[in-house]
Amino acid sequence: MNRIDALIELDNVRKSFGDVPVLKGISMFVQKGEAVCIIGPSGSGKSTILRCINGLIPVDKGFVRVGAHRVHEMKSERQMRALRHQVAMVFQQYNLFPHRTALENIMMAPIQVLGHDRAEVEERARKLLKKVRLSEKADSYPGQLSGGQQQRVAIARALAMQPDVILFDEVTAALDPETVKDVLFAIRELVEEGLTCILVTHEMKFARDVSQRVCFTDHGLIVESAPPAELFDNPRDPRTREFLGQVL
Amino acid sequence: MIAGSMLSYEGKKRAVLLLIALGVVIWIAVDAAAGGSAHWSRVLVRLPLLLTGSASGWPITGGFVLNIILSIASMALATVLGTIMGLATLARFGPIRVPSFLLMNFLRNSPWLVLLFATLYFLPFEMHVFGMTIPFPPFVKAVIGLALPTAANFSEVIRGAVQSIHSGQWEAARSLGYSTGQIYRHVIMPQALRRMIPGWTNLYALLMIATALATVTGIQDVLTILNTLLAVENERVIVYFYLTVLFLFIAYCYPIAAIARRRERAVKGESL
Repeated sequence: MNRIDALIELDNVRKSFGDVPVLKGISMFVQKGEAVCIIGPSGSGKSTILRCINGLIPVDKGFVRVGAHRVHEMKSERQMRALRHQVAMVFQQYNLFPHRTALENIMMAPIQVLGHDRAEVEERARKLLKKVRLSEKADSYPGQLSGGQQQRVAIARALAMQPDVILFDEVTAALDPETVKDVLFAIRELVEEGLTCILVTHEMKFARDVSQRVCFTDHGLIVESAPPAELFDNPRDPRTREFLGQVL
Repeated sequence: MIAGSMLSYEGKKRAVLLLIALGVVIWIAVDAAAGGSAHWSRVLVRLPLLLTGSASGWPITGGFVLNIILSIASMALATVLGTIMGLATLARFGPIRVPSFLLMNFLRNSPWLVLLFATLYFLPFEMHVFGMTIPFPPFVKAVIGLALPTAANFSEVIRGAVQSIHSGQWEAARSLGYSTGQIYRHVIMPQALRRMIPGWTNLYALLMIATALATVTGIQDVLTILNTLLAVENERVIVYFYLTVLFLFIAYCYPIAAIARRRERAVKGESL
C-alpha cells in the first residue's frame, strides 16, 4: 500500500496526559473507502488515536494527515474547523443535543456550520433518518429514545455533514445487547457503500465481518495490523494472541 | 410518635411550618383580645403609607412598592452585569478571565451594606459624558449598589450552570465543526439557561430582602417611612409596625423562594 495515496496518515504519533504516555509512536494509514477496526485492551490508547485524527486532542509529536489537512500543524480551533467538516465522529455516549429533537439534531450542524439551505438539509435529514430506520422518531427528543435509537440518530447526524471519514468510538459499548445489532447493521451499510470508517470496537465478530483491516493496540503501540482473517486466526504477536484468547 | 415516624421528611417540614403559622395566628388572636386590636388599628390606618408612601395610597411615592420596584430594577441590571461577568470568568483568554474572576470574588465576599455605602459615596451626584448630564439620584445609587453583589452571585450561577453541561456536548459540537462561540450559542446556553432559572429566582428573593438596606441611601422605602412614622406613634405600637413590615417581606418572598425550590426539583429530575 502506498502511504502517499492514503486518505489518512499517522506517523510516529506520541501523546502523553501529564506524565502518563498514552500513545508511544502510532503509525497507520487508511485508504479511501477502507474500513479499519482498532481493537485492544482498555487504556491502550484506542480512543485517543481517533481524537488525534480529528484534532480533539492535539498530538505531542508526530505527523497526522487527513486528505490535504496536516492536523499536527494546526494550533487553533479555527484551523481545525475545515478538517472537522470532512471527519465526523460518533461517540460511545451518543452526545446528542438533549434540547433538540432527533431531526433538529441532524439538521443543526449542516445549517449552522456549513451554511447549507434549510429545505435541502431537511430533505437530507429525513432521508438519513429513514436510512437508520427511525423516520417515525423525527420529532422525539433524545431523552425519549432508547440508547440504540439515540446512537442511530448520532450516526445520521454525522452523515448529514457529508464527511469523507467517520470515526466510531466504541459506539456499542454503552448499549444493551438487543439494540447493538441495529446499530451495527447501520454501520455495516455505510461500510458497504464505501464510506471510509475507522472503528474502535469490542465487537470482535463484527470487526471480523465488516473490516478490511484490523489493528491491535497495546500500551500505546499498534502491535499488529492485518486483514481480519489473518489477525484473528493466525495472530503473530504473542500479545495479540493473549488478548484474543481472553476475549474470544 | 408513631404518626411522626410515618410522615415523610417533606410531610414533617410542612407540619412544622403549619404549626408555626398556627402559633402566630393564635398569638395574634390572644393579643388582640388583650387590647392589641387598638394597636393593630393604628397599623391599619398607616398601612397605605407603608405600602405606597402616601397616606391615601395614591400616588405611589415610596413604601413597600418602591422596594419592589427597586428589586426589579436592580435584578434587571444584575442580570445584564452578571451575564457579562459570568461569561468573562469562563473566557479562555487570561487577561479577561483573571480580572473578572478577581472582581467577582471581591463583590461576592463583601457585605452588601458596605457595597451600598461605597456606591453612595463613590458615585458622584451627577456625571457629564459627551455633553450629557447623567444624574445619580439616591434611587439609582441604590439600584447600582444592590446590583453589584447580586451580579457577582448571578455570574456564579451562570458559571455553575455552564460547567454542569456534560463535556461530551462540547466534544460532539467540536467534532461537528462548531466554533467556540457557536457552541455556547447553539448547544451550551440553551441547556444551561434552564439550569440557571432556580438560582436566578432564589437570588431575586434574596435581593428583595436586601432592599431593606437601601434605607441608608435615604430613599423613601418602607423602612425609611417606618422610621419616620415611629417618631409620631406611641412607643407601644412599634413592635406591631415592625411585625407588619416583616410580614410584607415574607408574604412577597416566600412564594418566590417556593417557586425556585420547585423549579430546582424539576431541573434535577431532568434526564439528559
